[in-house]
This record gives sequence, C-alpha cells and structure tokens, in this order.
Amino acid sequence: MRRGAAGRLALALLAGVAAVAGAVALSCALGPQPLSLGAALRGSEPDASILLGLRLPRALLGAVVGAGLAAAGTALQALLRNPLAEPFVLGVSGGAALGGTAVLLAATALGHLAGPAGALLSSAPPVALGAVAGAVGATALVFALGRIGGRLVPEAALLVGIVFNAFAAGVITVVKVLVPPEQAARLLYWLMGALGYETAGTLAAGGALVALAVAALVALSGRLNLLSLGDEEAASLGVDVGRSRAAVFLAASAATGAAVALAGMVGFVGLIVPHLVRRAVGPDHRLLLPASTLFGAAFLVLADLAARLAFLPLGTEPPVGALTALAGGPFFLWLLRRTERRA
Amino acid sequence: MLSLARVALCLAALSGTALAAGSGGAAGPTWLGPRPPERPRRVVSLAPSLTDTVVALGEASRLVGVTRYDDAPEVKGLPRVGGFLDPSPEAVLALRPDLVLWLTDGGAHAAVRRMAELGAPVLAIPVVTVADVLASARRVGSALGAAEAGERLAGSLAESVARIERRAAGLPRPRVLLVIGRDPLVVAGPGSYPDALLRISGGENVATGDRPWPVYPLERAVGSNPDLVIDAAVNEPPEGISRLSAIPAVRAGRVVRLGSDDALRPGPRLVRALADLWRALHPGVEGP
Repeated sequence: MRRGAAGRLALALLAGVAAVAGAVALSCALGPQPLSLGAALRGSEPDASILLGLRLPRALLGAVVGAGLAAAGTALQALLRNPLAEPFVLGVSGGAALGGTAVLLAATALGHLAGPAGALLSSAPPVALGAVAGAVGATALVFALGRIGGRLVPEAALLVGIVFNAFAAGVITVVKVLVPPEQAARLLYWLMGALGYETAGTLAAGGALVALAVAALVALSGRLNLLSLGDEEAASLGVDVGRSRAAVFLAASAATGAAVALAGMVGFVGLIVPHLVRRAVGPDHRLLLPASTLFGAAFLVLADLAARLAFLPLGTEPPVGALTALAGGPFFLWLLRRTERRA
Repeated sequence: MLSLARVALCLAALSGTALAAGSGGAAGPTWLGPRPPERPRRVVSLAPSLTDTVVALGEASRLVGVTRYDDAPEVKGLPRVGGFLDPSPEAVLALRPDLVLWLTDGGAHAAVRRMAELGAPVLAIPVVTVADVLASARRVGSALGAAEAGERLAGSLAESVARIERRAAGLPRPRVLLVIGRDPLVVAGPGSYPDALLRISGGENVATGDRPWPVYPLERAVGSNPDLVIDAAVNEPPEGISRLSAIPAVRAGRVVRLGSDDALRPGPRLVRALADLWRALHPGVEGP
C-alpha cells in the first residue's frame, strides 16, 4: 500500500514535470516571429535573443506564477472545504494588488519629497512585499469574517472575498486617479494580469518565494488532509488546528502575493487546475498539491502561449488574465451548479 | 553630468524601477543598451511623432519598423512592431535594428528595457513640451548621423513658433476649452502639449488644476464659460459633441472640430497643428 502511494506520487510528479517541460518548449518554439531553433542555439542573432532573451524568461515567469496560484488554490480549497475557493475569488489576489498599489502610491508621494527614495520604493522588491502583506491581510480578513458562531462557513468566506474584491477594485480606481498618468498606465497594465518581461533578478526572487511557499505547503500537505475533514475531526486526530491553519494561510498568501507581484491579477488558475488534477490523482493532498503545482505551471505557460498567438493577425496580444478568466468564469459556474446538486 | 545620469538610469534598470527618470520632460534624452553605429541604417520608431521627425529629416528610407498607429504615407509599407503602449520586443529584435527611438512617456518600460538588454541601442526621448519637440529634432538628427538636418529642422520649427507668437500678440485671446475625449470629459490641462500650442497661437486655456490630462467635471467646464470649444476627439463621431451641450459655447455652436490629431502629436506636425489652431482661434484673420 505504501509502495503504491510512493509509486503514484512518482508517476504524478513525472507527468507534471513532463507537462511543464513540454509547455515551456512549445512556448519557446512558437511566437509571432518565425524562428530557427538551430540558429538560435548556435547563437546567431536575432534568433538567439528572441529565444533565450524573450520567450524562455517569459515562459519561466508563467511557470512560476501558475505554480504559485495553483498551489495556493489547492491549499485554500482544503482549508475552506469548498472546491470554489481560489485566490482570485477569495479576494486574496485583490488584497495583494491593493498592497502593491499602496506601495506604489506611497512611492509617488515620497517621490515628490525625495525623488530617489520614491524611485527606490517603487522598485520591484518593496512592491512585492506590499503584495504579500496585502495577500496575508486579505486572507486573514476573509477567514475571520467568514465565521458564523465561531465556525468557518465556506459560503460566508466566499462572499466576504467577493465583496473585498469589489472594495479593492474601488480603492485601486481611486489610486489610479491620484498617481501621475504614466504610473496609472503602468498600474493598469500590471493589474490586467499580463506576463511581461521582468528582470532576471525579479524573476529569481519571485521564483524563490514561490518555491519556499510551495515547499511549506507540500510539507503541510499531510495535515491538509486532516484539516479538510473539518476542525473538530482534525483536532480529535491530534492536529493543532489553529497553528496548522495559520501556517497554511501564510504559505498560500505568500505564493499568491508573489504571483500577483510578478503578473498582476491572473484569475481562476487556482480553480481550474486543482479541480482537473483532483479528478486524475484523487483527493490526497500529499499527491494533489505537488501535482497541481506542476500542472498549474504548465497551464499558465500554455495559456500565455495562446494569448500571444490568438490575436496575431491584429498585431497585438491580450493579457493572459483575460484568457484565464474567459475559461475560468464558466468553469466556476459549472462547478457551483455541480456542488449544489451534490449537496 | 551625463554619465551620472546614465549611472542612475542603469541602477534604475537593474532594480526594475519604473524608470521614473526621463518622464516629465525635465531630463534630456538618454541611451539604453549599447551605442548605435555612427550612421544607423535600420531604425525602428516606437512613436508616431518620432516617425514624423525621422521623415521630416528626410531619412524615411532608414526606417525599418514603426507602430501600428503610424499613418505617414512614407512608412505605409513598413512592418508594424505593436503600439505605443505595447511594443512587441520580439518583432523589434527580429528587424535587427541598429537604432530604436522611444518616447518615454508611453509606458512599456519593461519591454523596452528588455530590448536594450538584448543589444538594441535605444534612444529614450522625453517629449512633453514644445521645447522638447525642438530638442528631439536635434537629438534624433544627431543620432541618425544627420546633425545638420536636425539643426535645420529644429530651427525651422522654432521659427514657425516665433512667427505665430508674434502675429498673435496683438490679437484678442479667446478663452478655450480643448476637448480630448467626451465620455468621460477629458480636456487638455495646464502643462499638456496642446495647452502650450494654444498659448502660442493666441488662445487662453480655461482648464485649471495641476493635471495635464484631467477627467474634467462637466460642471466646471460649464462654469468656466469658454468663448470657444475645440473638439480634438478626432476618433469619435463629430455629432457626439452634443453630449456637452450644457456648455453655453457648444449650445451656441461655437465649436471648432480639428481635422486631425496633429495637435496631440508632439513632433514636426507642430506647424500644421498651429495653423489649424490659428484658424480656430482667429477666424477671418490671415495667419503669418
């Protein structure tokens, strides 16, 4: 039995790694410019720059963001014991965006007083920290206000998340009016949920944060299995419910915050991917969490590839967040109807 | 001094900042990435007004790529490399440019920074004011190895500005609201490029505040009671101006619609824009 579980885990990880590698390879091979892979690998320009300088870093960025969002979605679904939980729907992404925006606004205000200090504050690391803090805050809010009579009610938490998202959107709209137009344009582009061209340092820092958060969630995955039974059941099985939940919160928020800092509000990845993976590997989080992480990475890389190629004749590309929402919205509603029928 | 600015910019690029340097018109043009050859031959322009500048310098044949918004007949057949806000680094690099001209206030910092990192010489040019337009003619001229033509272009633009300014000096100055968009109402505010053109051609902008492109409360537009409304929303249907009929000037038909977006393109089309504004502000008075 234990051998079987280890074998299944190995199989799932192998499939996940293959999916990520395949998605990244495909994303590197296809794009608006015809490209000779051989020439690019021999270092002939401009093919080498396009392949190694543009497509590969962007595919890796997509993989990092997708992995973070899918892992966070899986963890939040276990905590809420509801398949509809997801960083975007729960307002965690909104909180992250709000945190990042607040730092940008502070940077603008500071820039009026002391230019260089403002520029420093508007650089990537402080904005990312703001995003993580915002994600943690939003998660805490959703789980605190989603309680009725001391018990976590998933539907209430989801509603709090949706209301919080609307609130965050309002605040961000106000901030857009307050900052200079070029900052506002940048803010808008960021919030749309687009994969762009981050510096290597930013990508590495974001990747490290997501890797840490995912590692923590994988380490907690055994306890996630017990937590998903319900608080009392988990406690009776010897789980320190409060502490475990706080640890999962923090890790899921960090993963979401890093993802939002890198790519803005890309929705529904954490909904679609864990659900499909659950159908393949079953509900055991020790298997589900790492597999979802890998397939989330592959999913977003492919979604971004589709975004880059879909509107090629028009010479433009929609942000990948628009594509995931296009797929995720109907998926959410279908899932909602299904859950209702079962209950 | 210049090298200090370059160091600051490199630091900003390294730390992934918004490249605040260069926006706002205070700083001059800056180089990103490697330097171009003495006489670049494959030039990509990332803004229509910079394309206009290259064309006005008589160097259109050296352009190999422009934005999807470019409409000058000289560049009609050229490949498009995306828009002002969303240039495609892949399309730009595939053209193997030896000079990329970039207008800094359009955003797209990350994409342009990446082009420069991958070896495309980028000239980042802030253009906000009329003085910036003259300076950018010189700067683009010398980057193309055509410094004399740049000097001549800047000189002739400066002369047109001075001529119109002199001619307008003795005339009454109508109070104007210059409408950029109608729904919501966006006007040219103080510090914007059309605001400067208005002043030069003898008008007075009624829009106040400290934002160059404010979303303007209709009530304030009505309260400021302009003598004339100039409709620069050239991409919207002309009859849509009736949306603003609460403004007395609109009700009375004192509206002039501009025929092109020349007044919104800080570049050599300055001359045509000033002529259009002159006709709107001083009907019946012959221009210089």
